[in-house]
Amino acid sequence: MDDQGCPRCKTTKYRNPHLKLLVNVCGHSLCESCVDLLFIKGSGICPECGTSLRRNNFRLQLFEDAFVEKEVDIRRRILKDFNKKEEDFPTLREYNDYLEHLENIIFNLANNIDVENTKKMVDQYRKENKEFIQKNRLKMSRDEEYLEMLIAEEEREAKSRRELDMIEVKNEKNKKMKNKEALIDELMFSDLPASAIVAGHNVEIMEEKTTENTAPSSMFSSGTSFGFSKADGKVPVLSDLGEEYIHTPCIFDMLGPVAPTEKDVINNGYLQNIREASDSDRGGGYESRMACQRALTEAMCGLFLDSENLT
Amino acid sequence: MEDKSKRYEKIQFLGEGQFATVYKARDEVKDKIVAVKKIKLGTRQEAADGINRTALREIKLLQELNHPNIIGLLDVFGQKSNVSLVFDFMDTDLEIIIKDNNIILTLGHIKAYMLQTLKGLEYLHNNWILHRDMKPNNLLINREGTLKLGDFGLAKFFGSPNRIYTHQVVTRWYRCPELLFGARNYGTGVDIWAVGCILAELLLRIPFLPGDTDLDQLSKIFQCLGTPSKEDWPAMEFLPDFVQFKTCPGTPLKDIFIAASDDLLDILQGMLMMDPLKRVTATQALKSSYFTNKPYATPCHMLPMVGDKKEVIDQCKRSQKRKLEGEGGGLVKRLVF
Repeated sequence: MDDQGCPRCKTTKYRNPHLKLLVNVCGHSLCESCVDLLFIKGSGICPECGTSLRRNNFRLQLFEDAFVEKEVDIRRRILKDFNKKEEDFPTLREYNDYLEHLENIIFNLANNIDVENTKKMVDQYRKENKEFIQKNRLKMSRDEEYLEMLIAEEEREAKSRRELDMIEVKNEKNKKMKNKEALIDELMFSDLPASAIVAGHNVEIMEEKTTENTAPSSMFSSGTSFGFSKADGKVPVLSDLGEEYIHTPCIFDMLGPVAPTEKDVINNGYLQNIREASDSDRGGGYESRMACQRALTEAMCGLFLDSENLT
Repeated sequence: MEDKSKRYEKIQFLGEGQFATVYKARDEVKDKIVAVKKIKLGTRQEAADGINRTALREIKLLQELNHPNIIGLLDVFGQKSNVSLVFDFMDTDLEIIIKDNNIILTLGHIKAYMLQTLKGLEYLHNNWILHRDMKPNNLLINREGTLKLGDFGLAKFFGSPNRIYTHQVVTRWYRCPELLFGARNYGTGVDIWAVGCILAELLLRIPFLPGDTDLDQLSKIFQCLGTPSKEDWPAMEFLPDFVQFKTCPGTPLKDIFIAASDDLLDILQGMLMMDPLKRVTATQALKSSYFTNKPYATPCHMLPMVGDKKEVIDQCKRSQKRKLEGEGGGLVKRLVF
């Protein structure tokens, strides 16, 4: 992912961590500063393919593969108009047919197949279903409302939890204050010697603390207490229990021919077909035999799969 | 389809992370305690982007994995835009065990934890998966003493010749030298190094190499284990972020872990090799004499547990792969992006 770079100025994500790749309808990416430079007038042509583009159509590239980006873009555009829902169809079959039709359109547009006709088809659909599209758009916003509600709920929950925590901290503070006041009162009015009163008081506080500490028997790291607490841990007895561990190799049912082992891969010339590991690869612990072995394993796994064996 | 959010009844709030909140819950159908990890929607913009990436990774990988020492993903369900993952319920993790001063860890206990960790890791590596976030906090332990690797938010397939991997993985204290030198393609060594650090931490009961920054981490490593020479790690100088460090002789492991036996020191030395190509693999580690020699690994049910009150143990049945309910042919073919 770090090697993502702008094809025009060759800056990479590694050299400039703030690099923002933008992409337009043609699916070619450019970095933010190149866009600023080339599209200073608001429109221009793509340096890769020559398509004329508008500046405000540039969006942040979410995917490494620009083709995916292009498809997502087309999909978003098409779905704006093709917004029928399952409820709008009498049978599931018809709904599925509609969805398939939709996918065909998107596939054609993304792969430049029969673009003219497909575009005509989309336009026609748009004309025919003008009212319907408008109506459904309004309905869509109801889904969004629901999403907003969920987010709000999540925020509310977090807030209430925080408040609970705050109250607890406050209570504890109050308690400490009260204890202190009680001690001072006792020191003022009692006839006992001061040291005895203080000692008795400390015992009380300690007791309170221990009862608090034993509460959760299961907790995760976020809630551990540090330091030495009561040392009543039993010393475990050393014993000869248990048994010797004998390693058994992992065997996976790959449903296919046995893939070559590490030795086979190295000795039988498989490695000629794969890029040799560079010095820096080897420094990081990568060897070309790993890629080779994985590719072979993946190629062979599942070859013997037959539908009768499926459980 | 039945409403799965009703199947799991929340019992207790367990914790909250950046991406998710975790609840303890009861599975009404199987009558079993589980952990439900509810992925947060996050901000409005994040919600519009779809499912969170770490959650997606976790679902993608864990659905195909099935091993007693890997956390079991029992179920995934969604309500509208919310996604929740259902996991085996685990009572605690290794970090708590290490930090709990009431627990005394014997050599047998340590061996049992290492054995289970390495078994899980061997399974992962044999399936071409790197965990990339091995640390005591992610080694989850249940009441029966079974240890399972958890948190697959950073896990990824390895061994692609042209894919470039980010080196900003693994919590710093458990990060190996090749990652700290910015390696862009790496292998199973990154997980093994972390296991080495965990073993050292089990012995010392404090983190072995607690660096403050990435550079400080490297200098701590070299101060402790010695700066590697060209013979130790020939390809070191070709790593992208390589910097020459002052030569340190290092302390022999024998002088740091004075009570450790020779077979233990051997395996530790093997896991903390500077050159990732010389570092032992999970399989080699499992075959080493450390696991065949006495004292043997303590049986799982005798391993220590945090908390004094041992509640009645819910006799959880072994996690079985949930069979998908037959949903008939009426599936909507819609592709959602």
